[in-house]
Amino acid sequence: MLFPDSFKVSTPSDREIRVTRSFEARRRLVFDAFTKPELVRRWLLGPPGWSMPLCEIDLRVGGAYRYVWRSEQDGSQMALGGVFREITPVERLVATERFDDAWYPGEALDTTVFVETGAITTTTITILYESQEARDTARRSGMEYGMAAGYERLEKLLPTLTGEPT
Amino acid sequence: MNELAEPFSMSQPAVSRHLKVLERAGLISSGSDAQRRPRKLEARPLAEATEWLEAYRKYWEASFARLDSLLSELNATEKKPKRVAPKKR
Repeated sequence: MLFPDSFKVSTPSDREIRVTRSFEARRRLVFDAFTKPELVRRWLLGPPGWSMPLCEIDLRVGGAYRYVWRSEQDGSQMALGGVFREITPVERLVATERFDDAWYPGEALDTTVFVETGAITTTTITILYESQEARDTARRSGMEYGMAAGYERLEKLLPTLTGEPT
Repeated sequence: MNELAEPFSMSQPAVSRHLKVLERAGLISSGSDAQRRPRKLEARPLAEATEWLEAYRKYWEASFARLDSLLSELNATEKKPKRVAPKKR
């Protein structure tokens, strides 16, 4: 059983964007999927047609992480990195976030919380931008970017992704 | 203003303040007539915000669908009885 209906995107304040989703797995596994590079690389691939050639995570307070994505079509790259501020294993992660070609001013702060109920883990990612302007700029470029990725390809890809591995 | 305030049980200054906020946000614009200042609804910014949210949703949905597959694989691996455990020495 999957929980696509549990997926929510909201803007709890002028400076924040929040993404919530539930997964059928113990939170220890979900936490691993968010913090172990070999697992992150299997799902955080960016838009369709992009791959993740680099994923480094030094899971310690003050440790850095770095993600690089590459478009298979034109070879363009996009990179994101930051530093962990708070780590409560399997429960909570706080890290800074900044894109190499940051199109919005300053750094953002990501807080990821994992709550386990029964065997279901609800994950909430909150991105706090430095200002409303920064959030809105990020939103605007995010939109163009999302549009460029093309809904059609994405629609085609989705059914193949949701299939359970045999 | 009077026409806009009519359906609401709100004072005129209150309605005027709301209009100002909406105008600052680019969601309405006001024209000018001899005696009236007709307000027009500006749908574009709202449409843009909705489009963005939709694109953002699609991006995360695709990632989370992959994460679902990965997790069900991890679940399966966990449930499988361990093969002969390596002997501790």
